[in-house]
Amino acid sequence: MNHGGKKIFYSIVLLLWAFLAALPFLGFSYGVVWVFLLVVYFTLALSYDIVGGYLGYMNLGHSTFFGLGAYTTAILLNQGFNLFSALLGALLLAAAFATVISYPLFRLRGAYFALATFGLISLIEVLTTNLRDLTGGSGGISTPPGDHTLASYYLVLAVAGVTMVLSRVVARSKFGLALFSIREDEEVAKAFGVPTTLYKGLALIISSVPASVVGGIYVWNMTYISPESVFGLEIALSPIIMAMLGGTGIMIGPLVGAVFITLVQEFLWTEVPYFHLAMYGTVLVLLGLFMPGGLVRTRWLKPVVQWLGLGEAVDYFENADAERIS
Amino acid sequence: MSTDFIQLVVGGILLGGIYGLAAFGLSITFGVLNVLNLAHGEFLMLGSLLSYGLFVGLSINPFISAILVIPVFMVLGVGFYLLLLKPIMDKPPHQLLVASILVTLGASLFIEDVTSFFWERPVTGISYSLPPIELACVVISSTRLLILLFIFALACAMQLYLKNTFVGKSIRAIVQGREGAKVVGIPISRVSALAFSIGMALAASAGAFYVTLFTVTPVMGIPLTIKYLCVVVLGGLGSIVGSVFGGLILGVAETLTAYYCGAEWSPTIAFILLILILIIKPEGLFGAKK
Amino acid sequence: MAMNSLLECREISKIFGGIEALTDVNFKVESNSITGVIGPNGAGKTTLFNIISGALHPTDGAVFFRGKKISKIGPSRVCRLGVARTYQLVRPFSSLSAIENVLIGLGFGRAAPMAKKDRVDEAVRILRMVGLEEKMNHVAESLTLVEKKHLEIARALATAPEVLLLDEVVSGLNPTEVTRTMGTIQQIRESGITIIMIEHILKVVMTLCERVMVLNYGVQIAEGPPKEVVADEAVIEAYIGRFEDAQEGFHA
Repeated sequence: MNHGGKKIFYSIVLLLWAFLAALPFLGFSYGVVWVFLLVVYFTLALSYDIVGGYLGYMNLGHSTFFGLGAYTTAILLNQGFNLFSALLGALLLAAAFATVISYPLFRLRGAYFALATFGLISLIEVLTTNLRDLTGGSGGISTPPGDHTLASYYLVLAVAGVTMVLSRVVARSKFGLALFSIREDEEVAKAFGVPTTLYKGLALIISSVPASVVGGIYVWNMTYISPESVFGLEIALSPIIMAMLGGTGIMIGPLVGAVFITLVQEFLWTEVPYFHLAMYGTVLVLLGLFMPGGLVRTRWLKPVVQWLGLGEAVDYFENADAERIS
Repeated sequence: MSTDFIQLVVGGILLGGIYGLAAFGLSITFGVLNVLNLAHGEFLMLGSLLSYGLFVGLSINPFISAILVIPVFMVLGVGFYLLLLKPIMDKPPHQLLVASILVTLGASLFIEDVTSFFWERPVTGISYSLPPIELACVVISSTRLLILLFIFALACAMQLYLKNTFVGKSIRAIVQGREGAKVVGIPISRVSALAFSIGMALAASAGAFYVTLFTVTPVMGIPLTIKYLCVVVLGGLGSIVGSVFGGLILGVAETLTAYYCGAEWSPTIAFILLILILIIKPEGLFGAKK
Repeated sequence: MAMNSLLECREISKIFGGIEALTDVNFKVESNSITGVIGPNGAGKTTLFNIISGALHPTDGAVFFRGKKISKIGPSRVCRLGVARTYQLVRPFSSLSAIENVLIGLGFGRAAPMAKKDRVDEAVRILRMVGLEEKMNHVAESLTLVEKKHLEIARALATAPEVLLLDEVVSGLNPTEVTRTMGTIQQIRESGITIIMIEHILKVVMTLCERVMVLNYGVQIAEGPPKEVVADEAVIEAYIGRFEDAQEGFHA
């Protein structure tokens, strides 16, 4: 039954969050640092999916928002602003950037869009490196020192939680349905009144918010930032791989993907110290060939997800016959 | 206009020729397969490495390598197509997009990582040069000029091939309308494989020239592919002539930017041109408006 | 002031890179009527629909709806003004469920959006009207062809249109399905909606349409009640001429 399934899902999520919240006190200091990074990636994966999965435009340059948020926060912190003002500034800058960039970029479709957004990362990276006076160039800059491990850990958990809620709210809203329709057939969506240009821009802006905020929290915690640390390939691709591995276009996808990747990384990375990128590459190829819809759409997981009440069909009737899981 | 400026423009054109050649290949594969191959730059990189190897090992000059690599990479291209692309070609559009990006991006990462493992040092350019030509107070590197002429010859040969042979016409038919081509009985899969391999071979060929001018590193593939994307969009999606032209424009723009603003800004110009053309004329300079 | 027709096409021409898809098409559609658009393949019928619905701009001429020019305002606004359409090769939102497809029309295609709490009920009502109520939570892609066509009709109806453009809505259906669809079309017409339909199947055109317009190579060659049009020499010539061309091609 749907309702029972949903309750179980929410309980699991709450338990997970409680466990993570208690982690620092369970004596895993290494675990905290590592989970922090994981939750950052997870938030990026979730926010990526609003454009990549719901709207169907693969924004491979999503980490641009992360980097911009991080740099803005670093600069503002160094100017004496407190954390929350700095994060707010980061959020506003990223959102403004998203607004401006959406106009030209959304004139591209499909793979062109994906590639162009991917190129955006290098562009911003070069810009950041060249504007030495502002950003400290390739050497990077430090932010006010301090041990923020615990505080940033809880902060990032909170942001991740909010992002999960945001993702779900969008998916079940009229706006979210419109995004899905654009993904399915943009021309037809337009023909039925969906304001495609506006909504595409809005989706991008919404996705930029969690990304930029966790970028700020990240730099606050690391107390150091350089172009390479925030515009690199790993931070660009890992969240997207998580989202795609788990399943794009559905909120639980990135969650499944994050858990899966974490487990694999823990076992594989330490055993085989070489060829990490090649392994990522192989995973991507296999995904593309055999399950582009991600794990949650495979024969084994799909019924579970539907039973948990997470298939995104209209919650009108109780029966889950052939319920949508897109 | 100062001679400096003309010199720069000429230099840029010569650079642009290489861009045009690779973009030409990208345009063909995209036109026929409707899939953007993110691994395109990797083939350029591999072509460069092969050419380097041939030069250092067997003293084969790059112009000959540029031709030698073509059959090699055509075979590789067919293999790549059969292994990675053919299985996903029949999926509905959105799934095809996701699958193709996953597959080609994954292939890029794989190729880059494995290549890095075997080739640790960046491969410096082949120093293969002929004495420069002086033409009305402008100094032209004769190597680059030869390269440009060679590329034009290759591009013309391609155009003739596309226009006159059966295979070439099939390719153009598919570009113009996949369904229609199917109805007329064109073996889509075989022609696609061929078109794809031609695209890859052209990229590798461009790579053979590339190594005479620049340093080659295993990780240069993806940034290059992005650059070629900018060229293709600039020239016009689906226009092969446009990609070559776009390449020339980018070459000139990069050279001018490097000189007037500093070398560290030249990587950005490709993207800026992309954004500009998207705002001003989204279908590209030679593209067809809907 | 003269009574304006509900929808009017004045001197519509459309050129695609040298090919004249439509040349000087003029026709009027009166309120609460069913008009047919027929013609051999490639005559420009769907192009005409694309122009009326705003998906394409005419090279020359204009489309008027309730006296107001709608040729260049874009498909979204045309839809909201009250002109909705279906597609010859069905284009539902594939991964969305049937009811979600209808909800898109309801939520975005109307001039005055419905209140949220009423939307779902209305969507169910529309699905019931086309016979898809049981499959409302089914993914559009999983529906049969006739169901997809009915879904497209439902989606279009959800936008509360005054004019409904049906593009070969019975092609590819078996005789039972054709009859059922014809019944649905009658129902729609009775509810006050004006229908323009592109159709190949002559029986459907003769039964349902009050007036028929014939296109051949983008030129309007006849217009009037179906019985007249079918007997018109130019029309017969057009269809048979095409038939003969095809025959020649065989023997050449």
